[in-house]
Amino acid sequence: MIPLTIISGYLGSGKTTLINQLLREAKNPIGVLVNDFGDLQVDAKLIENKDSLTLSLTNGCVCCNLNEDLGSSLEQMKEKDVEAVVIEASGVALPIKLANYGLTWPGYSLSGILSVVQGESLINLLSDKFVSKTVRAQIEQADQILLNRFQDKDKEILSRLNADYITEKEVKSYWDLIFEEITPVNCFTEQELDQHSTFQSSVLSTDKVINRNRLERYLIKNSSIERAKGWIRDEGGKTWLLQMNKSECNFSISSYETNTRLVFIHTQDLDLNSLDPIYS
Amino acid sequence: MIKVYKAKSIITMNPSLPRTEAVAVRDSLILETGSLDSMKPWLENNDYEIDEQFRDSIIVPGLIDPHLHPSMAAVLLPTFFITAMEWRFPWGDTPATTSPEDYDKRLKEALTNPTHKDIFITWGHHDLWHGPMSRSRLNKIESNKPIVVWNRSFHELCMNDGALDYLGITEDDVKGASQIDFERGRFFELGLGYAVQKLNPYILDPEIFKEGLLKLKEVVHFGGQTTIADMAVGLFNFDNEFDTQLELYENEDNPFRVELIAHATALIQYAGGSNLEAEKLIAKLPERNTHKLNFRKRVKLFTDGAFFAQVAQLMEPGYIDGHEGEWLSTPEQFEEVARIYWNQGYAIHVHVTGDLGLELALDTLEKLQFEKPRFNHGFTLEHFGLSTPEQVYRLSKLGANVSANAYYVHELSDLYANHTVGSERASSMSRIGSCFREGVTTGLHSDFTMAPAQPLMSMWVAVNRVNEKGNVMSPEERITPQQGLEAITINAARILGLDHEIGTVRAGKKADFTVLNKDPLEIDPMEIKDIEIIATVFEGKVFPINKK
Ligand SMILES: [Zn+2]
Repeated sequence: MIPLTIISGYLGSGKTTLINQLLREAKNPIGVLVNDFGDLQVDAKLIENKDSLTLSLTNGCVCCNLNEDLGSSLEQMKEKDVEAVVIEASGVALPIKLANYGLTWPGYSLSGILSVVQGESLINLLSDKFVSKTVRAQIEQADQILLNRFQDKDKEILSRLNADYITEKEVKSYWDLIFEEITPVNCFTEQELDQHSTFQSSVLSTDKVINRNRLERYLIKNSSIERAKGWIRDEGGKTWLLQMNKSECNFSISSYETNTRLVFIHTQDLDLNSLDPIYS
Repeated sequence: MIKVYKAKSIITMNPSLPRTEAVAVRDSLILETGSLDSMKPWLENNDYEIDEQFRDSIIVPGLIDPHLHPSMAAVLLPTFFITAMEWRFPWGDTPATTSPEDYDKRLKEALTNPTHKDIFITWGHHDLWHGPMSRSRLNKIESNKPIVVWNRSFHELCMNDGALDYLGITEDDVKGASQIDFERGRFFELGLGYAVQKLNPYILDPEIFKEGLLKLKEVVHFGGQTTIADMAVGLFNFDNEFDTQLELYENEDNPFRVELIAHATALIQYAGGSNLEAEKLIAKLPERNTHKLNFRKRVKLFTDGAFFAQVAQLMEPGYIDGHEGEWLSTPEQFEEVARIYWNQGYAIHVHVTGDLGLELALDTLEKLQFEKPRFNHGFTLEHFGLSTPEQVYRLSKLGANVSANAYYVHELSDLYANHTVGSERASSMSRIGSCFREGVTTGLHSDFTMAPAQPLMSMWVAVNRVNEKGNVMSPEERITPQQGLEAITINAARILGLDHEIGTVRAGKKADFTVLNKDPLEIDPMEIKDIEIIATVFEGKVFPINKK
């Protein structure tokens, strides 16, 4: 399985810079897919990837899936023997839609969604007539946010949105931001990651619908589960964001359509088959 | 030689002479319309012939569909239709198939002729009518020959053992993929993308693509259209789309012309990578013009996502379930591209579906008008799903045109009222009556394959606003039959910048007519869609429609 990372963020937020930093640090070949609607080649040219491992995508038909450009690029990348694939999302993409490729496309697994936020423009974008909701979604859907060119007030805004962020100065290796097996790193705090040796993580991705109450009961009963975070889809077709730790289990309704995707941190082996009772 | 067609009545759509009974044509041009008596000065000193074949019929200007997609039609039409609704086609009607048993029976009968080389692809399956589809259900009908069942919504398909085998899709390949159910042979959403990618060599096969375009030729003629516009050349592959249309449509027996409008963003890569290069390429496209296929100074841009897929961008209060619409580019990028074409003098056609998508187009137009004022600039809002009355007022002041998809009201207003945006906004989708009241040049299109390529059907919806449940949605937004006919003739011609040549029956225009068995301005408006089209006349040549 090739880990797939989605790098999202509004126009000018610094996605390309981040990708170039990742590439500079990379020891093995990384495939980059650039999905932008403007001057495509210009964007793709800014990516300093050796070999021909950067592909630009065009938008296909807006009414159907006939022009499966992203899909065929993912297929091409499989041939190229890359260690990981990074998608630079367009400035207006809802990253969770692209993340679905990591969950669905054969041969790939989702590594996570990283959104880049530029402090200088954050306030304006969040109140913009056209893109405020898009920018907010890019923040809310991210597993990890990289905050650059910011002031303290920008941090406050992100905290108010319950966003997990890290600032440029705090970054040691850019790879730590995303590649942690297939676990989106920032589901968990730094401390928890330090204790990683005693913890294991498992990911559940499924298109089966899940019963919220049964899941909650299951989590309470199973004392080996330390934390769980992710989205579930219930029998009514609604999506819920779950955030669970030892002291509380919290479901909040989410406006994003996605299949169930949960990350569990647990102390003993967790057999995903034992989860059967949670399906409705 | 002059040819004079006599008719029961000619609706000219020329306000100075609205009704006549004869029209004199020389070669491809109208010499005069009036009565045999009034056109005597033309006839006295020339050879002429009086043609009586339409004497019991009604002649209207050749109908115009200013927005459809030949390349999408070319992909869909070669598949075998098994549908819950009746579809009328020149090669015969597709009857309504409304039960699982009938579905299976029809599929079994049709299987003898594969649609795509060895594969049989059928389109139109709908769970609600035809029951859930699965690999085992298909295997019971036939397990060896490859069968692909493509859902009406385009969002899902199902394969039998034969198809999985033929396409080389194994359980191992798709292990763990959450939107592929290998056991049941089902591929949906992104999983569908995977399947379509495997099917692409068949559905985009050049021979089958040609077959599809030839079928579209019949469909366009059958709908009574003498002019259509391909409103996004470059959707799949620019060269392929242009070359194939050129090969198949540029000949004596093609009964219509095709206006070609380039998809600006799709051409960026083709042109070398930048918007400026794309503009230079688009500026040169008219060099390829032929008699029937023409590029003009027009270009297609997009703001927000598709209306059918519920990703239009909405102003407050948004969607009932709180989901977000989608932008197809950032507003900054949209403005930048629009400015390039505006400053070069293009007519810009913008795909807008939600009211916020429309708002972006209007804000941009207002800014461009301030920077470089233009009159009669042809900036056109395409589709026009949701809007507000204030936006209609504003777009009128800014000089924009509207090319609306009225069919939304028919197919989607009930669904949108109950589940998507609520009754108030759903009932006023395609707010066409307001556009006419504000004096906006308003045309109707099919966006085929989104709606049937039958202008009289679009006119019927705009005039009656009856949805699939039989309810009239916002009667205030209905238009009169006269306005409805304007929308598919002269207004559609204005939207394509061809009103000096087509769109009415008057001296000096192209002899393009559509011949009907009933008078669309006199009959019960609910019968407009059932009017029979007897023939079309394209540039003076008669193309009868054979009933099958
Ligand atoms: Zn269209």
